[in-house]
Amino acid sequence: MRHRLTIGIAGAGGDGVVILGSLLQRLAASQGYFSQMPRYYGPQIRGGASGLKLSLDTARASVPGDTLDVMVCFNWEKYAELEQELPLGSDSVVFYDSAAPKGSVSLPEKSFQVAFSEISKEVTGATSAKNIVALGLLSRILASSEDPLKAAVPQDEALAILERNGLAFDAGKRLLPEFPFTDLKLSPSRDLSAKVVLHGNSAIVQAAIRAGCRTFFGYPITPASEIMEEMQERLSQGNGVFLQAEDEIAAVGLALGASLTGAKSMTATTGPGIDLMTEMMGLASSAEIPVVIVDVQRCGPATGIPSKSEQSDLNHAIYGGHGDAPKVVIAAYNMEGCYRLLIESFNISEYYQTPVILLSDQWLGQTTVATGSDFLNRDYAIAQRRRPGEEYRERYRRYEITEDFISPMAFAGDEGLTYQATGLAHNEKGRPSFDFATHQRMHEKRWQKLTPLRDRDDLVKVVGREESRRGIVAFGSSAQFVLETLEELQLNDEVKVCIPELIHPLPDRLATFVGSLEKLLVVEMSYSAQLYHYLRSQMNLPSDTEIYARAGGLAFSRKELSGPIKELAR
Amino acid sequence: MSKEGNYRTDVTPVWCPGCGGFALLNALTTRVLPNLGIPRHRALIVSGIGCSSRIPAYVDTYGFNSLHGRAVTIAQGAKLANPDLTVLAIGGDGDFFSIGAGHLPHAVRRNVNVTCIMVNNFVYALTKGQTSPTTPYLQRGEGAFLSPGSYPPVDPVLDMVSYSVSTRASFIAQGIATDVSNLAWLIEEAIKHKGFSFVNVLTPCVTFDPPWLFKTIKERASYLKEGEPVGLPDSSPEQPWLHDSSNITLALKLAQTSVTEKPHIGIIFRGRSA
Repeated sequence: MRHRLTIGIAGAGGDGVVILGSLLQRLAASQGYFSQMPRYYGPQIRGGASGLKLSLDTARASVPGDTLDVMVCFNWEKYAELEQELPLGSDSVVFYDSAAPKGSVSLPEKSFQVAFSEISKEVTGATSAKNIVALGLLSRILASSEDPLKAAVPQDEALAILERNGLAFDAGKRLLPEFPFTDLKLSPSRDLSAKVVLHGNSAIVQAAIRAGCRTFFGYPITPASEIMEEMQERLSQGNGVFLQAEDEIAAVGLALGASLTGAKSMTATTGPGIDLMTEMMGLASSAEIPVVIVDVQRCGPATGIPSKSEQSDLNHAIYGGHGDAPKVVIAAYNMEGCYRLLIESFNISEYYQTPVILLSDQWLGQTTVATGSDFLNRDYAIAQRRRPGEEYRERYRRYEITEDFISPMAFAGDEGLTYQATGLAHNEKGRPSFDFATHQRMHEKRWQKLTPLRDRDDLVKVVGREESRRGIVAFGSSAQFVLETLEELQLNDEVKVCIPELIHPLPDRLATFVGSLEKLLVVEMSYSAQLYHYLRSQMNLPSDTEIYARAGGLAFSRKELSGPIKELAR
Repeated sequence: MSKEGNYRTDVTPVWCPGCGGFALLNALTTRVLPNLGIPRHRALIVSGIGCSSRIPAYVDTYGFNSLHGRAVTIAQGAKLANPDLTVLAIGGDGDFFSIGAGHLPHAVRRNVNVTCIMVNNFVYALTKGQTSPTTPYLQRGEGAFLSPGSYPPVDPVLDMVSYSVSTRASFIAQGIATDVSNLAWLIEEAIKHKGFSFVNVLTPCVTFDPPWLFKTIKERASYLKEGEPVGLPDSSPEQPWLHDSSNITLALKLAQTSVTEKPHIGIIFRGRSA
């Protein structure tokens, strides 16, 4: 019996790879299994390679293993395109549909040609149910595999498709009767309650609705489009405003316009869109208009690799734009974080009247995860914008310097509180002012109002023994791979990890963590090591500091991270 | 308190004496807003960057002097989120027809109920006299802007009114800064129109335009009156037709008349209200 299993599926577009993976993930989730399922797709619109990895786990939503324990392959030519992402090990068990591979792919010992297509044709009259046949076979790795649909279908309507394909599913279950599935069998999940299945982009949407966001403006871009699409669906059901803008400049402009009237508004994009939004972000910072901007990072620069993850927008998020315009930068590193931190982004944006950039990445955004639903049902505090009371009527100063530098903000439409905002340097009334002392004071206001965020210890996660003098700093999805590798190496006692969720302004807890170290390792998916340079600009780093930073595209493997982590622990 | 006192802030405009900006400011604060009875807090003026875009600071409604070319995006967002607001997007020819031109056809096709007022002075004035997309540069006696040997442009002037008609904006009017009462009436009609409305305001730049330009426009200005014959340039071979602002084909013909030959003042096209 196993506690976790990494399954790979490869084929051509149209083979039903993603459907097979999704159904297996949902079937497993109905039995309480945790999982993560990254998908790999190329630039083709149709007919390209299609692959995925699915890590089934009895204890937590772990990232998939480096090599596959099990693979189903429908098309070896397409597999060759995905080999970097779906590497086989010598122990891998392979079930493949068509003729044996030619050329470079060498089959592991335990490889079986299984006529998925033929069986599908036999029982359904068409080859198109071959993925369901394969699913029937794979369902035997789950703990309760006798009649897995019976309990699952009522819980998850997406699985109803299996009932309609019962013949193909059952035929798959009966395949390879001699095969010792007990070797691959998963022990029952430690928490048998059914798990929710969602991806980070969807978690962000659900959190936005939860936070009270009712106005969304976006422009299609991979890998952030799901946020726009789901917001459209959600907002069209209620009293929301949704608009697909003509470009990202308009998207954030529309969001700022809505925010002026008091609406919690948001947009979502990735690198190239963030570039276009930059001028508006400076305006929002200067005119102190709340807005939440989600950046689902992908490989850059320029068009880069649209469908792959990277962490190279960090500099832009922190420093992007001309002038000294502070922005709050937050980064999620897991599914729960995508949800909680999007609510937090609205809270900070509304409370401090500032643009907040929430960094996600392609891995977080598009990997479907099966996990416990606690984070969806928990209570979250929802912050509101500070508004001027009656005492401000007819003597309102929009940018009044208050003790905490946050000025009450009227909603356009509020009686007796008209004001005129501007991107020009302005005085407390919002009037254009080129007085140098006023200019200096307004900078102080915009920067110093954010100072209390440095004390937000809850936005910095620290894992490991406090006394340890060796530590890793990582953010975003890379942090998951660091934690996983550390656990596998059983070095949790020697090495502690700090995962900042609040990146800018720099939280004190992160500085304290780094200050406690003799040896530091910074792990990030950015060729130029942006996080390392940011940390270096903010504090003294231990003289013994190493960087493990490389370009994105391919997810980190445990194997590659083992080297630098073992070195750190030595 | 005078009517003007109700809608003017105490900020002194930065404009040159004689600037067309004053005409728009007067039209808005002494006529349009009081005539339509729009309470100060129920109006939002979003502007871009340029001389005319300084206007929000002078009008005591909600206001936002935003980014170059982007006023119309912010205006639509505000209107969608709070439909009770009367939302005006104000900017110059550089704003709406150069840097922000990409936003206009989309505002038109969405037909969000905002009024876009383009203060067209035919020049980049705030940056001190550079060519704008509406600058009739040949008339200014300048040379072609392309290098020798390259093809000359078909028409160097981007005609914003024909553009609005061809993208089927649902309300299009052209006013002139020297006739404040007519301008105010046009803006009132534009605001009352339910849907996207575009008002082009022909304006002199007393500092950077050659004096003959606005003098010519003013002398040749021809008022459109519903059901009455339209004025045509002397060079036109056509017979004047009776003005029908609901006819988009005729509107396009009006719009395509060169503004230095026969500037049409009035409602050029009024489509169905949303």
